[in-house]
Amino acid sequence: MNLPIPFIVLLAVLSLAGTGFYCLLFTRNLIKVVVALQLIVKGVVLAFVLAGHLVQNESLAQTMAITVIVADTIVAVIGLALAVQIRLHTGSLDLKALSNLKR
Amino acid sequence: MIDQPLFTSLLLLPFLSAPLIYLLGRLSVRKGQDSGMKAARLLTLAALMAEIVLLVLTVKGAIGGGSVQILVGLEAMRFDGIGLILTGLVLVLGVCVTLFSIPYMNKEKGEEKFYALLMMTIGSIIGLGFSYDLFNLWIWFEAMAISTYFLVAFYNEQSASLEAGIKYLVQSSIGSALVLFGIAAIFATQGTVSLEDIWQYADQLGTLGALGMVLMIVGFGVKAALVPMHTWLPDAHSQAPSGISAMLSGVVIEAGLIAMLRVVSMTGKMNGNWAYILIIFALINILVGNLMALRQTEIKRMLAYSSLAHMGYMLFGFGIGFGFGSGTGAEGGFFHMLTHGLMKGLAFMSVGALLYVLKLVKGDHSSLKLDDLNGASRKYPLIAICLSVAVLALGGLPPFAGFMSKWMILVAGVETKNIWMLVAVGFVGLNSVLSLGYYAPIVNRLFKREQSEVVAAAYTRVSWMMSLPIMVLTLAVILIGVWPLLTDFILYNGQYFLLGYFFN
Repeated sequence: MNLPIPFIVLLAVLSLAGTGFYCLLFTRNLIKVVVALQLIVKGVVLAFVLAGHLVQNESLAQTMAITVIVADTIVAVIGLALAVQIRLHTGSLDLKALSNLKR
Repeated sequence: MIDQPLFTSLLLLPFLSAPLIYLLGRLSVRKGQDSGMKAARLLTLAALMAEIVLLVLTVKGAIGGGSVQILVGLEAMRFDGIGLILTGLVLVLGVCVTLFSIPYMNKEKGEEKFYALLMMTIGSIIGLGFSYDLFNLWIWFEAMAISTYFLVAFYNEQSASLEAGIKYLVQSSIGSALVLFGIAAIFATQGTVSLEDIWQYADQLGTLGALGMVLMIVGFGVKAALVPMHTWLPDAHSQAPSGISAMLSGVVIEAGLIAMLRVVSMTGKMNGNWAYILIIFALINILVGNLMALRQTEIKRMLAYSSLAHMGYMLFGFGIGFGFGSGTGAEGGFFHMLTHGLMKGLAFMSVGALLYVLKLVKGDHSSLKLDDLNGASRKYPLIAICLSVAVLALGGLPPFAGFMSKWMILVAGVETKNIWMLVAVGFVGLNSVLSLGYYAPIVNRLFKREQSEVVAAAYTRVSWMMSLPIMVLTLAVILIGVWPLLTDFILYNGQYFLLGYFFN
């Protein structure tokens, strides 16, 4: 079987994003939620690289991909910091135990 | 002609002053002195004042020159009417919120971070208003989101505000990931992220491009609290410190809407009518927001849900603008954005002042129930009057600003002479009446009911630094209500740039 490389990358993008969304739906552990968010954004980074390859504008695509990585790392750090605080104050990382605000 | 140095410093000043504010405050907190913290507060106020001066000077330079696209470094930024509305609103509210927060946040743990983060939020909203390519739009959007994550979870010893913070973070970052997928899709079709180029080639975007547009509308819709994606909003807006609630409800969700409008305004040459998506979202938002607000028992949650309804009114105006080429509709949308910022800021700040004197002073971080407001006018007549003005204006009663902006949107809807739009206008009008069902009882509670226990036990006076911004905003709400032409200049410009691009 001889798949073209862009097609393989597209599959990788879709599977990364799909795994991320699946995890977000079914996990209740805060650390895993942050990991799921990271998976989705890794899919985004690959999507940018792929898009840059398709339109022959790799330099712009890579600039954007690197910026996304930086911004996303900050979000992950904040998410983990919140998780630490939540663990300190409620003694649990479970999102269900945390849901006290009513609808 | 526009002065580039002026515009550049308008964008840079918040980000230069934010670390200074933090350092000044941090050093004095570590030494246990108060002088540095005072300097930090003053610096925040001074920087915001300087921003207002810079904005006025930039506008003076731009008059006659129209919109000018400039490059700050390598980033494409463009000074136009849409950004002007957002910047004006965020600076006015920013000054009020800073002044209000001085007594409110006094001696709170991490006070120095509060002002630095507030400054960063304001700076990134200004940048978002003026950014003119897709990726740039996302960067400012993410900067705004990151600085507000901290502010929502500011009371990091309360599990309720931590919960609100993590909900906000997860939903908002899913939204921004969707926006990024959308940008990648658009980029994959044209190889450019400049709004100007995409607008030009919009008819060649095809299915992938349309998918990208939908992803971006949904992604920005998370921040703009469109209804299926709104669940973070009531938690985040009710758990944040009151000044921040005013900022979040008054400008941050509007900034999400502006980002979405920038995206929609590129679709002018595309097939399919994107405006109908906006109108459908608008009607759902209005209905759900009003119904959910009716059954709330906490005042800040109620105000947060009513923000949903108000986002609906704005979207309805913009939808009419895009769908029927109605300048009045788009202008009404911008007008409501402006008045909602002032009214909701006023409402959250007056509630915040009451929350402060009734509960926070005693170290009680529980939320303010509607029952706690009973009879508050006996002890705090000024705040009670201002809160009444705010909620009646939000409900759309005639002498106040909210009536004028809602009226403008409804008039635009009638002017389309489309039978479905007339039905929609009727629906929106009835919903506006329905909203009085939860606004009016607040006035009743404040003035008619017997004093509640918390009010009877309260002894603290409201500091002048809290009541001054509240009074200023009250005056503004009344003044715009009786003299709506006051804001016509910037509203017309916003409408002109939004629709001018869409239809040419």
